[in-house]
Amino acid sequence: MRKADIVTAVVLLGIGILLDIDSLRLGVGWGMEGPQAGFWPMIMGVGMTIGGVIVLMGAIRRKGVSRKTDPFIPREAIKPVLQCVIPAALMVLFTEYIGLYLAAGIYLAVYMRWIGKHSWVTVLILSITIPAASYYVFDKVFLIPMPQGSLMGWLPF
Amino acid sequence: MDIFGHLWMGLQIATTPFNLLVGLAGIVLGVIVGVLPGLGGANGCAILIPLTFVMPPTAAVILLSSLYWGALYGGAITSILFNIPGEPWAVAVIFDGYPMAKKGEGGKALTASFFAHFIGGLFGAVLLTFFAPIVAEFSLRFGPPETFSVMVLTFSALVGLGGKSPMKTLVATCLGFAMAAVGIDIVSGQLRFTYGLTPLMGGFNFIVAVIGLFGLGEIFLTVEEGLKMEGVKAKLTFKDIGEVLGAVVKYWKTVVMGSIVGVWMGFKPGGATPASFMAYGFAKAGSAEKDQFGKGHIAGVFAPEAAAHGAGTSALLPMITLGIPGSPTAAVILGGLMIWGLQPGPMLFKDKPDFVWGLIASTWTGLFIGLVVVLAFAPAFAAVLRAPFAILMPIIVFVCAMGAYAVNNRMIDVWYMIIFGIIGYAFKKLEYSMAPMLLALVLGDMAEQTFRQSLIMSQGSLWIFLKPPIALPLMIAGAVIGCWPLISMVRDRMRTAKKAAAKA
Repeated sequence: MRKADIVTAVVLLGIGILLDIDSLRLGVGWGMEGPQAGFWPMIMGVGMTIGGVIVLMGAIRRKGVSRKTDPFIPREAIKPVLQCVIPAALMVLFTEYIGLYLAAGIYLAVYMRWIGKHSWVTVLILSITIPAASYYVFDKVFLIPMPQGSLMGWLPF
Repeated sequence: MDIFGHLWMGLQIATTPFNLLVGLAGIVLGVIVGVLPGLGGANGCAILIPLTFVMPPTAAVILLSSLYWGALYGGAITSILFNIPGEPWAVAVIFDGYPMAKKGEGGKALTASFFAHFIGGLFGAVLLTFFAPIVAEFSLRFGPPETFSVMVLTFSALVGLGGKSPMKTLVATCLGFAMAAVGIDIVSGQLRFTYGLTPLMGGFNFIVAVIGLFGLGEIFLTVEEGLKMEGVKAKLTFKDIGEVLGAVVKYWKTVVMGSIVGVWMGFKPGGATPASFMAYGFAKAGSAEKDQFGKGHIAGVFAPEAAAHGAGTSALLPMITLGIPGSPTAAVILGGLMIWGLQPGPMLFKDKPDFVWGLIASTWTGLFIGLVVVLAFAPAFAAVLRAPFAILMPIIVFVCAMGAYAVNNRMIDVWYMIIFGIIGYAFKKLEYSMAPMLLALVLGDMAEQTFRQSLIMSQGSLWIFLKPPIALPLMIAGAVIGCWPLISMVRDRMRTAKKAAAKA
């Protein structure tokens, strides 16, 4: 837990410093139209930098959550969490190529069958009807187009 | 009593069988679009406009406004049950609504939300009917410095009282503000914090952030604890209704406060979402049970929901009186008015009293019909939760992806959603408070703009924020609430010191 706390604090501190630098580039003074573009973000950047340093020091000195010795993700939970994150990320990746509905259908089917061990009948019915119904509601009725995917231009949806 | 005469006439128009039926259809449809993330009252109204060409204008506006009422009611359902807001103004209710559902009080949380909506809407309707000019005048006295003071107060209410580590809260809040600033600065036109990356130019949308931080983050946490949604069984019983009514009486001040905040914020465009956050912050600040907030306190459901519906209702007021829509949905309805050949503005009251008063009366009938409809619907939505986790989870992820994409029709938002999901997971475990961060992301642009506008007005002097009569007390209240942890710490130390002195 301490390691994760330190890493997060360092990342946030880094973002704070990035903000400070870019704010200075934008100008933090008084310009033609009042306070310049960097003025407000500069306050936020300074806040993040100061807060980040203090959080980091606390983490190094084992305060707050860093006092806990248990790991950030319990060993036995790593697998289920990855089984959840990776398919979701893959669905988004596939959406770029084959469109959201097809990707979602595959994703639903794979997850329900692989993780949930549900019967093929349930899996097929749900993974076909849910994307189809969503397609009808979003693309047809409300005319909100969902991503089509770069490879699927030849399909009507 | 001119107004009562008009209202009576309006009610007669709104309660003809045809108009009642139209209203009912609108509300049912509204609840459905309200529940689905990515679809909202504005989309719903937009697709119904062609249908309204064949109707008399009064029935048409009743249909659209009823859909709007339905969407206001429906937005909270997924917030409470799945931690995913169906509408932007239903974000603040997840802080306490979802923990309630997790404790097994989903039915109670839903009922509480519906009744809070009803009361908030009632305030809005009363205002719309009787006090329109007074409130409009009052809200016009709020310039940038005053609005900024209100935001400071909201922040201190939410930040000063919450979070285990104040420094982590500070960092998270600043991160939220910084994310709101990413993209094009609308004052100077400069690109900020994009580092030459095109996807960053559009900035971050808070809906995408919420779906990721709360919706996906929660799923990852649930998976870690074992593959099931624990305790989220939402049954709706008559006992719940009784208990909620009891709670309404107990927390009547919170409900009334939420309604007033909502009604007042609703005048400003896009006011419903900030209003719900403000009401939540104030409810927490003013409560004697502060530590219960965020863990499933019923008052944490009442306040934002009453504000959301109050704001939604009062958003119609500037639309019909001035032709300025207070919300995206009101803007679509305004478009409808123009298509039907009606010119919004003061003359509308004289030229078409039956139309205006029919619309106003439909806010009254819509409230009652809406409450009955959502109470009838709720068990059906709650039943969805009984589906096995491995079926429910991927469906939720799919719906989240649709919701994130539909915000701006950008694929990059769906990726942001996944990243925010992982951030949400990590932040929750490391005890960074996400509510202030989210509030910063929601209010970021508005806060920065009012801050800069105020400084332009005062030519750089910060004293403008301490200007009586409105800004000064707000700022003092904000400072006191913001420093409250410090004050109470000092007080405790003095007490123990006194005790030690007494002993010695």
